[in-house]
Amino acid sequence: MADKDPKSVSAALAAATCSLLGSLPAAPVQAEEEPNWDFNTALLYYGEDNDRVQDLSLNILARRDYLDDRFLTLGLTIDTLTGATPNGAIRQNVPQTFTRPSGSSAYTVPAGELPLDDTFKDTRAAITVGWEQPLGRLWKTGIGFSGSREYDYTHLGLSGSLSRDFNKRNTTVSAGLAVAHDIWDPVGGAPLPFAPMLDVGDTGNKTGSDTKNIVDAVVGITQVVSRRLLVQLNYSLSNASGYLTDPYKFLSLVDGATGDTIPRVPAPGAEGPSHEFRFENRPDERTKHSLYGQAKYYMSGKVLDASYRYMTDDWDIDSHTVDLRLRWPLGEYSYIEPHLRFYTQSEAGFYTISLVDGVELPAHASADYRLGNFDAITAGLKYGWKTSSGSEMSLRAEIYQQNGTIPGELLIGNQVGRETYPDLDAIIVQLSYHFSR
Amino acid sequence: MNRIRIATAGFTVLVALASGCSSMGVEPWERDILAREEMQLTADPVEAAIDDHIYFSKEASSGGRGFGGGGCGCN
Repeated sequence: MADKDPKSVSAALAAATCSLLGSLPAAPVQAEEEPNWDFNTALLYYGEDNDRVQDLSLNILARRDYLDDRFLTLGLTIDTLTGATPNGAIRQNVPQTFTRPSGSSAYTVPAGELPLDDTFKDTRAAITVGWEQPLGRLWKTGIGFSGSREYDYTHLGLSGSLSRDFNKRNTTVSAGLAVAHDIWDPVGGAPLPFAPMLDVGDTGNKTGSDTKNIVDAVVGITQVVSRRLLVQLNYSLSNASGYLTDPYKFLSLVDGATGDTIPRVPAPGAEGPSHEFRFENRPDERTKHSLYGQAKYYMSGKVLDASYRYMTDDWDIDSHTVDLRLRWPLGEYSYIEPHLRFYTQSEAGFYTISLVDGVELPAHASADYRLGNFDAITAGLKYGWKTSSGSEMSLRAEIYQQNGTIPGELLIGNQVGRETYPDLDAIIVQLSYHFSR
Repeated sequence: MNRIRIATAGFTVLVALASGCSSMGVEPWERDILAREEMQLTADPVEAAIDDHIYFSKEASSGGRGFGGGGCGCN
């Protein structure tokens, strides 16, 4: 530097000054980064014991980051479902024959076994599109569309959300609204309320398709408590109206003294139900309230994710859900995450296991085990690791168990000791791959 | 009426929490840990969606974290 020509130094200074004043970079340095895509993908296997429902599912969620807090999200899910599911009828000491939902054939369940309908087979495709962007400095908004299609069901939904940051962005208050219009087009038609199951080929008990509308509203607050603790509290209100019945589920019509299902004889030459069955009928409106709290706590590298939800509805169902995950790093590139979930629900007011012959029918009734009184537990472990290319992979394996009880006052005669809640054991295996482009 | 009362109570709780929360929090330069991916409320959105869908199909409750989910005639 010492022996440099002073002229060249001043020329360089002049050039530098000119470039600073005259030709400032046209855009922030940040803009030189390309907007990037982030992909979360997962392959899921869900399988229930005793040849009940099996689901193989492919999930892709792509998120484009426009580097200015605007995001586009695109989701795709393909589910292939097979297996058998409880049809609602109770066990009998003799074989039972049922007409399939299509009305074109029948199936028989051996004596003493829980009646399962093995017709269940479906492919479901679902898409989501979402857009998020800031509105000024402290507000953020999002809109979304969802749609799904299966053989007998179509869903269309729209959602919107708005949030505002307070208190140096340590507090966020948010509100969201979602509306959905779903269409049931059941195989063989939607049964009329409490219609009897008829012989194969007789569709006099069914009509065409039906619809339901759902409105969900959520308000919430997210609070940074400290450098290591983040909490969220949400209240949500959900109202569903329209056809809320499951068109494939029915109830056994039983003798009021013995509790056994009333036998039935198909028409001469016809194939049909061996006993009297009545299709279920649920109220055409349901309002649910939920309170949800979640905390994320960082403990020297480990992250505890704990949540609790209380739900109550006007079908008299109350439920409590506790979900706990602990992400535990194993060195710099991998982690394990144990997961425990506890769930308990009370039965719907119109849940029952059978209808009594000769007695006036209730306004609503369903024997769907999912509306019954049960507890469920999920226990699992996830292992995640970073690949040499910087992507992330994870594998999780979980078991899900439902254990229910049928309230004693619902059991009649021989049903005592014979009828038990259709407990469920399922496994969940999921392989995830997360990468950016 | 009951619905309105519950909604009003919920909103009051949120406002009370929001005003009580103003003394909590961190400075902008103290967000290193909170910015980590695993500290996000929904750290794995696909897994969260899968779980919501499974439990929606098998239990009588849904939603809470977000909207009620659904969109299937799940058996």
